[in-house]
Order: sequence, then structure tokens, then C-alpha cells
Amino acid sequence: MEREKASAISHPIKALIGIAILVGFSLFIYEIRGILAPFVLAFVLAYVLAPIVDRMEGRGLGRTSSILLVFVLAFTGLGFGILKAGDKLTGEVRELSDRMLRDERSERKFSLVNGGQNPVLIEEIVWEEQVGPLAAFSLSDEKLLWPVEVKPGEEQVFYVSFAPDTPAYSSAGLLLHLGGEDVGSTLSMQATGNRASENEAEWVAVSVAGGADFDLQQRGIELSPGRIDFGEAGPNVLTDISKIAETIQPTLQSYLGDDFDLVALVKEKGDTLIDTLLGSTTVFLGGVVSGLTFVVIVPFVAFFFLKEGRHITRGLIELVPNAYFELCLNVLHKINGQIGGYIRGQILATSVVATLAISALSIIDLKYALPVGLLAGIANMIPFLGPLIGIISASIVALATGGDLAMELVGKVVIIFMVIQLIDNIVIQPTVVAKSVEMHPLMVLFVVMVGSQLMGIVGMLVAVPLTGIIKVSAQTIYEGIRGYRLQ
Amino acid sequence: MANDPFWSNIFKRSGEDDIDLYEILKVIPIFQDLNRREFRKVEAILHRRTWGADEAIVNEGDPGVGMYIIVTGEVKIAQRGDDGSMQDLASLGGGDFFGEQALLDESPRTASAIAVEPCKVIGFFRPDLLDLIESNPRLGLKIVMRLSQMISMRLRHTNRLLKETRLRMRQIEREKEAREERERQEQERENLLAKEESS
Repeated sequence: MEREKASAISHPIKALIGIAILVGFSLFIYEIRGILAPFVLAFVLAYVLAPIVDRMEGRGLGRTSSILLVFVLAFTGLGFGILKAGDKLTGEVRELSDRMLRDERSERKFSLVNGGQNPVLIEEIVWEEQVGPLAAFSLSDEKLLWPVEVKPGEEQVFYVSFAPDTPAYSSAGLLLHLGGEDVGSTLSMQATGNRASENEAEWVAVSVAGGADFDLQQRGIELSPGRIDFGEAGPNVLTDISKIAETIQPTLQSYLGDDFDLVALVKEKGDTLIDTLLGSTTVFLGGVVSGLTFVVIVPFVAFFFLKEGRHITRGLIELVPNAYFELCLNVLHKINGQIGGYIRGQILATSVVATLAISALSIIDLKYALPVGLLAGIANMIPFLGPLIGIISASIVALATGGDLAMELVGKVVIIFMVIQLIDNIVIQPTVVAKSVEMHPLMVLFVVMVGSQLMGIVGMLVAVPLTGIIKVSAQTIYEGIRGYRLQ
Repeated sequence: MANDPFWSNIFKRSGEDDIDLYEILKVIPIFQDLNRREFRKVEAILHRRTWGADEAIVNEGDPGVGMYIIVTGEVKIAQRGDDGSMQDLASLGGGDFFGEQALLDESPRTASAIAVEPCKVIGFFRPDLLDLIESNPRLGLKIVMRLSQMISMRLRHTNRLLKETRLRMRQIEREKEAREERERQEQERENLLAKEESS
């Protein structure tokens, strides 16, 4: 009994050491969070595949061959899916984020240098008609007076802007209408991009030799390889939505007073919203998708989790002192069961909701149904906020792409999501998601905000499942410990 | 060279004890049906641990997790009495086992098991049994079948004891009734006598 007394004295010190180790470990995990993603994914994958592997092993197959067989089947399925939908998905995602982020107007600066001995008279600059509607291009400097004379050795700078009604990757050829006695002149053109960076000016300087060519073609000499690359420009999602806002503005103003400016509100708030949402995400996704590491590491780690998982836990349990041995064994087993159930439940719920959303949105012909439905499915893991994320993102897409029928499309989207929520709450959630993981709305709000602070939108999505896992573990540990009389 | 401690250390297979577990475990009822190949699979999920003298292997009242098989050493089974003092119930040695009921459910341990001297003990736990049933149902079933047989045998034994106790109790009750009847009649007779005397 003296042993108990001795351990009672050192108890606070033990607890202190324990807390210090825990804090250090958490800091360590936070520091290496960048490389944690493949391990977490492998962990999840192992939990999803474990029951299938167990089942096959039960049928008499060896564990290794079961795992390999399951892997081959799973990755063939995945590969087929990626082949079928991956291109479409990445294409749509890229297009969608371009539509969110792109500039409405692209500006370019170029200069014409007279390298000859005679002055050149530029009567006008017009744009190649086949490029697009002429209205999209304009010379920004309105003070220019035609014709412009470029003296020998001098340069004339022009600013042009490009703002098409419909988005397109565009480069434009330009036509110089020259006049005067320009025999023997040389015009060279230099462009510098001032849209994003100098590097974006992709067209080479060209020179037009005078003489014979000029004689042949007195007017309308095309500086042909000298096309200006304007890049992607065109109305973005915000502009589309503010156009719709303009149409309902009068109705709203009649209710809310003339001060209410919906268009300005959309422009102002939307800009910051898109910035915060997509800013950190694209960076994160870029980091994730890059490299073959994922394709190699995830299956590799998952394989060993599946094959050696039991040995790893056994090895850990061997290290536990006698007094806590049974407790650890029991609690570890229960956590394992709970986490497995939670992960499998969430993945099942996500795929069902995503499938429902994608099919329904495709039926009403919403553009980008694939990424939007997928996002809705994944976001659905977040209680309370998830369905909102789904419905809002789908509505934004509907507003931006619907044109004249935008409001009608939004109505359909809202109905679809309400029905999906009904199905989710009545059928899916009660059957697949464990009751023990129910979280208080405040808790959900808090962890989602913490997640967005740390990792942007990806953090928001990951926060709730992660908290769910921690909560299940803590609960199991607490309930497990309560039965034991610990000193 | 075979007995050279240097070489025997190098060639010692990790985790292998000098004692052949098969010899010890094949006499344990729940493992009786297993052949050597199946036994290897079970061996992989057993936990081998050592306890020091006076260390508790299981505590009365803790949730039960599984059974223990003593390889070497002595273990005493003790229960806390109504007055709070520990009462020794039994003393177990090598080859004995205890706690097998915890393989079936998580009910609290009914007694404590305390190592009297340093002990080598093998643990077989419910979570591992459940995993085994999942991954190798045929083997798991053999063990569970044996376990149920053992428990049903014990239940039959308990039933027999209960039946005997009930018979014995009825007999005692009958004797008690007869005695009371006799006493009542005697009392009545005495009352009657007293009445006659007074009148």
C-alpha cells in the first residue's frame, strides 16, 4: 500500500509532465501540418477499406492478398472515375474559378517607334474584325487626335483596353492605317503588359519596313505577327450578378428607400467574399495536387495501416504499464470502432448527398453541376452551415450563368436543396451518422471559424469531421475511464 | 556451440519464450479444438505480460476486458467482503486461468486477482476475439463455441446446485412448518389445560 502513497505524491508532477508532452506534441503536429495531408488521407482510406479487407480475409484469403485485391479494385474504380469525370471536373473548376476571379477589362500598353528617316503619319488604329465585337476594344487615351505623326527616332505610346461582353481568351491583331510620305520609314512596335505583370506581354516587336511594301499597300498595313494578347477578360460572376441586381433594384428601392443600393453592395461585399474564399484555397489545392507524392504516398501508407495496424496498436499497448493496460486496450478498441463508424458514415453520407445534388442539378441544366454538387456533398459534413454553403454556391452559379432565366434557376436550386436536406435529415443522417457525434451549434460555428483561420475553406471543411473524431475519442476515453477506479 | 549464450542470444527468435505456449494453452478448454496452424493465428493476438509481486492483475469492479492464463507464478483471487476487508477465495498457479466471462461481456469484475510472486501471464481479450471473429469466423467460432460450452457447463452445475438448494430449502421449510404446527398444537393444549384449571 506504500506504493500507492508514493504515486500519490508524485501525481501533480506526472500530470504536469503529461500536459507538457501533450502541448509539445500538438505544437509539433501543427508545425508539420503541411506534410500531414497524405497521412490523414491514408488513415481515412484505411478506415474505409478495412471492413472490406476484413471480410475478404474472413473468406479465407491472406491479409496481404486481400489488401492488394481491394486496392486494385478500388484504384481501378477510382482511375475509371477520374478518367471519366476528372477532366470535366478540373476543367469546370478552372473555368468556374476563372469566372470568379478574372478581370473584366484587360489593358495593354504598346508603343510605336519610328526607326526610319522620315516621319510616319498614323491615320487610325483599328482592330481586326474577326477577333470579336469591335466595341470590346478601345483606345484608352481619349485625348489622342488623329492622325498622329511619329517623327524619326521618336516613339508614340498607345493604351488599349479590352472588355468583351462574353469572356474569351483573346488576342487581337491590329491594323494601322498609315498616310503621308512614308517611304523608307521603319515602324517597330513594343508592347508591355500592364494587366498583371510585364512578363505577360507576349508579342514580339515587329518592324515594318518601308519602301516597296508601303507603296503596294498605301493604306491598311497589317502588323501581322504583332498581336496583342489580352489574356482572359470579360464579365465575371460579380458583374453577372450585379446585372441581375440592377433589374430588381427598383423593386427593392420601392420597399427599402432610395438609399439602398444593391448593385454597389454586391460589388463591394462580393469582392471581399470571393477573395477570402478562393484566396487561400487555390494556394492550398495547388500544394496538394502538385506532384506525384500523393499518388505514391497515400496508397503506400494506407497499405501499411491496413496490414500492420493491429501490430502497431499491439506494440503500443505492450508499452503501457500494468495498471493502465486493460484500460488502454479497452479504450483503444472502442475509439477504433467509433472513428471507423464515424469516417465510414461521413463518407457514405457525403457520397449520397453529392450524387443526389449532382444528378438533380444536371437535370435542371445548371452549369458546373459537377463541382457544385461535389462541394455541396462535402460541405454537408458541416452541420448547420454545410447545407447553406451548398445552396449559396449553387445559387451564385445559377445567378451568374442563368442569364434571363437566372431567378427561375435559383428557385429550382433552392427547391432541390430543400428536398435533399429533407432526405438527408430523415433518411441518411439517422442511419449512417453516429448519434454520439452530435455537436452544439456554437461548437460547430467555433471550430469552423478556427478552421477557416488556419487553412481557409479547406480548413472549414476539415474542421468539423476532425472535431468529430476528437470528440468521439474523448468521449470514449472518458466513459472508459469512469468504470475504473484510478488512484 | 548450441548452448553458447552468445549464439543463442543472436539466434533467439524475438517474442519466443523458452516455454512452448502450445503445451500450456492446449489444455485450456477454450483452445482445445484448435490445431497447431490455427493456434499460431491465435498466438498472434495473445498478449504476454509480467506482473510483479503484490501487483493487481485485475481489480474488483473494473470493467472486464478478457481472460488471463497463468504461465508461471502464483495468483490469488480475492473479494472485498461486506466489512471492506479482503477475503482470499482461491490460489491459482501455472496453467490456471481466470476472467473468461469477460470475453463475452463488459460486466464488472467480481473479484480481484493479485500476483503473489512475479508472474508470467498471457492475456486474451474481447477486442482481439471480436477482430478474430471478423477476420477468421471459422476459428473465432471454434473458440466462442468452446467458451459457451464451458459457460453452459458451469450454468448446468449452478442449476444443479440451485435445484439441490431449493430441495434443501423446501425440506427445511417443511420441517419448520411441522415444528411450528407442533408448537401451535402444544400451545393450544396448554391453553386448554389452563382454561380447565381456572374453571
